[in-house]
Amino acid sequence: MLLLQNARIASENSPVLLEGDVLIVEGKIQEIGSNLAVPKEARVIDARGRVLMPGMFDAHVHFRAPGFENKETITTGSEAAINGGITGVVMMPNTRPAIDSAAVVATVLENAKHRSRIPVYTSGCVTKNREGKELAEIEGMHRLGVTMLTDDGDTTSDPAVLLRAMQYATEFGMFFASHCEVPELAGPRALNEGVMSYRLGIKGSPSCAEEIIIDRDIRLARAAGAHVHIQHVSSKLGMETIRWWKSRGDVKVTAEVAPHHLLFTDEHIGDYDTNYKMNPPLRTQDDCDALLEGLIEGVFDLIATDHAPHTPFEKAQDFISAPNGITGLDTALVSLYHYFVEPQKFGWDLVVKRYSAEPRRLMGLPVAAIEVGQQAECVLFDTEAETTFTRDFMKSKSQNTPFIDQTLKGRVDMVILGTEILLERE
Amino acid sequence: MARKDLLDIASLHREEIEFLLDQSTSFKKLFTHSVKKIPALEGKSVLMLFYEASTRTHSSFEVAAKRLSAEVTNFDVAHSSITKGESVRETIETLQAMRTDYIVVRHSHPGLPGMIARQTTASVINAGDGAHEHPTQALLDAFTIREKFPDPRGKRVLIIGDILHSRVARSTSTLLQKLGIEVAYLGPGSLVPKYVPESIPRFTDYEAAMAWAPDVVYLLRVQMERQDVQFFPSVREYHRVYGITTARLAEIRDKGLYIMHPGPVNRGVELCDAVMDYERSLITNQVENGISIRMAVLDWLTPGGEFPKQEAYAARQKASSPVIMP
Repeated sequence: MLLLQNARIASENSPVLLEGDVLIVEGKIQEIGSNLAVPKEARVIDARGRVLMPGMFDAHVHFRAPGFENKETITTGSEAAINGGITGVVMMPNTRPAIDSAAVVATVLENAKHRSRIPVYTSGCVTKNREGKELAEIEGMHRLGVTMLTDDGDTTSDPAVLLRAMQYATEFGMFFASHCEVPELAGPRALNEGVMSYRLGIKGSPSCAEEIIIDRDIRLARAAGAHVHIQHVSSKLGMETIRWWKSRGDVKVTAEVAPHHLLFTDEHIGDYDTNYKMNPPLRTQDDCDALLEGLIEGVFDLIATDHAPHTPFEKAQDFISAPNGITGLDTALVSLYHYFVEPQKFGWDLVVKRYSAEPRRLMGLPVAAIEVGQQAECVLFDTEAETTFTRDFMKSKSQNTPFIDQTLKGRVDMVILGTEILLERE
Repeated sequence: MARKDLLDIASLHREEIEFLLDQSTSFKKLFTHSVKKIPALEGKSVLMLFYEASTRTHSSFEVAAKRLSAEVTNFDVAHSSITKGESVRETIETLQAMRTDYIVVRHSHPGLPGMIARQTTASVINAGDGAHEHPTQALLDAFTIREKFPDPRGKRVLIIGDILHSRVARSTSTLLQKLGIEVAYLGPGSLVPKYVPESIPRFTDYEAAMAWAPDVVYLLRVQMERQDVQFFPSVREYHRVYGITTARLAEIRDKGLYIMHPGPVNRGVELCDAVMDYERSLITNQVENGISIRMAVLDWLTPGGEFPKQEAYAARQKASSPVIMP
């Protein structure tokens, strides 16, 4: 039994934080109110000044298992999530073997059950081994609970294959998540094409490589009557394309944006720092501004990190040789607070809606909320404290993040899931 | 004023450039002596680390180092453990253990010389990193121009060709601008990006570029090996549209313009054969000046910086790449 006193409670429906006590009994929120009586056996936590919010849910993470456990495992990945105030995740299927059949899904979910303290869900491939040729074993994966199909990391190149997959899988209530990139235009180097790519002498990836596929995949979804979810949008015109399609209202489209695309530009790459190498690449301030606008406006339904761990050895190579991707789970919530909530660019209600409620809705899961009768799935966040992202602080097996050794305002103090306190920071 | 490394032109101050050009003038005087060698770098070791093919840059550095009495070792990439899958990082660790004084490096990956510089006590000289920088080429180009125009401020250099893939274009244009020389680019739209610096006029039409009234026409080698897709229909068409044809050479001769080219020349592509005999062609001057410039650079740099450099680098990174407010 847990009594959180005088917490400032965040909700997706209210821009104002409501102060009150929250009583958790046997893993459920039993009572919310002011000056609640203290039950004899309750542990009392003074939450005065701190924000109590639902646990976040990240619908786009790479846990690298099976196949690349040197980068991340389900255990280290899920601990990184808890460390950052996240209580549920969806894995991407670009593992080895790829998650493209019921057998692999079963193995992953079985592992997750034993190796993670939070629910770990997985998406499945659209095509076998993500090769874009033959359809993966879609119905078999669906039977085991997979709802999201994606060849993430690559676009399903052949539109005819994707259209057929959409026509087939929509019958099972599944939806498609699209990594949008024309490979022939994008090239392999993960740097925005522009002033910076010219200066650094690296072949740039133009944003049109992304925008073309955003448009293509929404058109395909419309033709198939499918639901398409556009992943990690990085460009202004990409955002505007989605906005336009949403305004038409004749196709089901959702979209996500990653914190790093809101925060960083290609200018940050400066001296070939591989911690800024990701795909889609960091673009310009104009793009960042547009993405923030799209998030506030609701063009982006959710925030997702695209948590992409790589070993220090891999990232310590030169910019061309280093792999794409940065970690995000340990740092996402604090960075969103530091850069957006604290300076009042948007409120906690947006964070809860876009990083907790909507991702769960996308996945067809019950929404976690601080409401009576709900399972306790919450995060206590200290807005006055700071977090320094040292290597020791990070729970991810990899620390390839631009935030390494930086101190930001805000700290995840406690993570509660049901009857368990998953994290408690002194 | 001396530095440990020479990695780019962008970070060089004008005073440093002037100093190197002046030093090069002194070293060039040696070339007329019967004994061309001086003991400036006696006992020092220079490692040539060329991951990409090179004739003139490699031999120019080697000659320069030897004229300064340094020991030169050629790292044989073809017979090194790189062929066994050793990473560049592992190679760097091996090289650091050898405690060489200078590493002259050429690699197809931009930024790689900087990475080596941060992890070794050796003075690292970038001899060309992908399409990024080729600082000694830029210095020898500036030196060659200054020989013809002692006060080059306000002079105009038209760089023609594959700007997109050219480290020479980047380094040379940056350096010439630092010396007050105006630079313009001419080439196919597919090879002259729209996002080149605004200070450089961008032409796709030869006549319009000539109307800009250049003093020097600088031709770039068409680097077919770097072009993973087709950037123009044919070399024949390229020569007709952007090359120095016989007719255009006559016009250039009439106007008294100088012609430069970093070599090796693709005859019949960038230029017609007759250009090689043109009295105002500075192509062989560039090769000759490469040696004195590289002598000046080797003599200027100071090996033996602190090691390891990672901490200093991390601090610099933090200072130069702050997480900015959106």
